[in-house]
Amino acid sequence: PGWFPRVVPARGRKSRHDPPAKSKAGRLKLPPPVDPEELLVVLERYRQHRLVLGALRAEFRAEVLQKKREERLGREDSAELLEEHRRLMAWNDEENARQRARRSERLRKEAEEEKRRKLEVMEKQAKKMEAFMKEKEKEVLQLQEEAKSFITPENLDARIEECLDNPRNYNFAIDKDGRVVKRTVLS
Amino acid sequence: MPMKGRFPVRRTLRYLSQGDVVFKSAVKVMTVNYNTAGELSEGARKFVFFNIPQIQYKNPWVQIMLFRNMTPSPFLRFYLDNGEQVLVDVEDKTNKEITAHIKKILGKSKETLEKEERERKKLSHPATFGHKKYHLRECMCEIEGQVPCPAFVPLPKEMRGKYKAAMKNEA
Repeated sequence: PGWFPRVVPARGRKSRHDPPAKSKAGRLKLPPPVDPEELLVVLERYRQHRLVLGALRAEFRAEVLQKKREERLGREDSAELLEEHRRLMAWNDEENARQRARRSERLRKEAEEEKRRKLEVMEKQAKKMEAFMKEKEKEVLQLQEEAKSFITPENLDARIEECLDNPRNYNFAIDKDGRVVKRTVLS
Repeated sequence: MPMKGRFPVRRTLRYLSQGDVVFKSAVKVMTVNYNTAGELSEGARKFVFFNIPQIQYKNPWVQIMLFRNMTPSPFLRFYLDNGEQVLVDVEDKTNKEITAHIKKILGKSKETLEKEERERKKLSHPATFGHKKYHLRECMCEIEGQVPCPAFVPLPKEMRGKYKAAMKNEA
C-alpha cells in the first residue's frame, strides 16, 4: 500500500519547521507486520459481528417505536372514548337545536312586530286621508252656501238698486275692547 | 419599546398560558364564520379577538381559519381527522359561553391533562444535574446542602490539593 519510510516526525513538541533530532537520523519507520490469513479471518469476524449488532439495534429501535405508536393511537380507539364522543356530539346537536328554536322564535316575533308597525302606519295614512277628504267636503259645502249670495248678471241691477237704497256708514271709532264709541252722522 | 395593538395584554405569555382549551388530538382544523357588524355576532367577535390567541397557543398544530361577512349568522366548524365535521351555532352567545361549549365537546378533560403532565414529568428526574436544557441545575455546587462553589466561597484548607501535598511533603 502507500506506506513508505518517513523521516519527518508527525506530531510532538516540535513545530513543522524544527529539524528532526540527531538520534533519529538513521531511523526507518515501517508499518506493523500483518499476517494476511489472520487479517482475513479477523476482518470477516468483525464484519459478521457488526452485521449482527446493527440488526439487533434496528430490531429494538423498531420495537420501541411500534410500542410508542401503538400507545399513542390505541388510546383513541377504545369503545368508551367513542361512546363519550358520540354523547358529546349528541349534546352539541341538542344545543344547536335549542339555538335554532330560539332563533326562529326571535324571527317570528320580529315579523309580527313588522306587520303590526305596518298596519299602524297604514291606519294613520287612512285617517289622514279621511280628515283631508272631510275638510275638502266642508269647503265645498261652504262655497255652495256662499254661491247663493253671489252677484250674477241677472240680479246685478237689483243688487245695485239695493246698495244705493241702503247707504252704510263705516265712519266710527272703536275703543280697546272693540266696542263702538262714536259714530258720525251720515249726511 | 411601545405596546402594539388595542389590547397588548393578548400578546403576553401569561395571558396566553391562561387559556384552558386543549383540543383532542382528533381535531385538525377549526373554522370561524362571523360578521364584523351586528348585535348577534358580538359574542363571536369577542371570541375571535380575545380567545383565539389562547387556543392557538395551546394547540399549535390546529389550523384556525376566520371567514368574515360570508354568512348571515355566525358559527364554528371543526374538522376531525376521521372526516367528521362538527357544527357549533354561536349566534347570540357571549365569548365565555362559546369557550365553555367547545371545551366541553372537543377539549381534553382535566384528568387527561393531568395524566399527560405526570407522564411528561416521569421522563426527567428533578434530582439530576447537567446541561440546563435537560436538567434544573448545572453543577453539584448549586444543590442545597452541598459544598458551595469555590468561585464564591473558598474551600477549607484541608480540602485543597495544595495543602494536602504540603502536608505529605512535610511528613
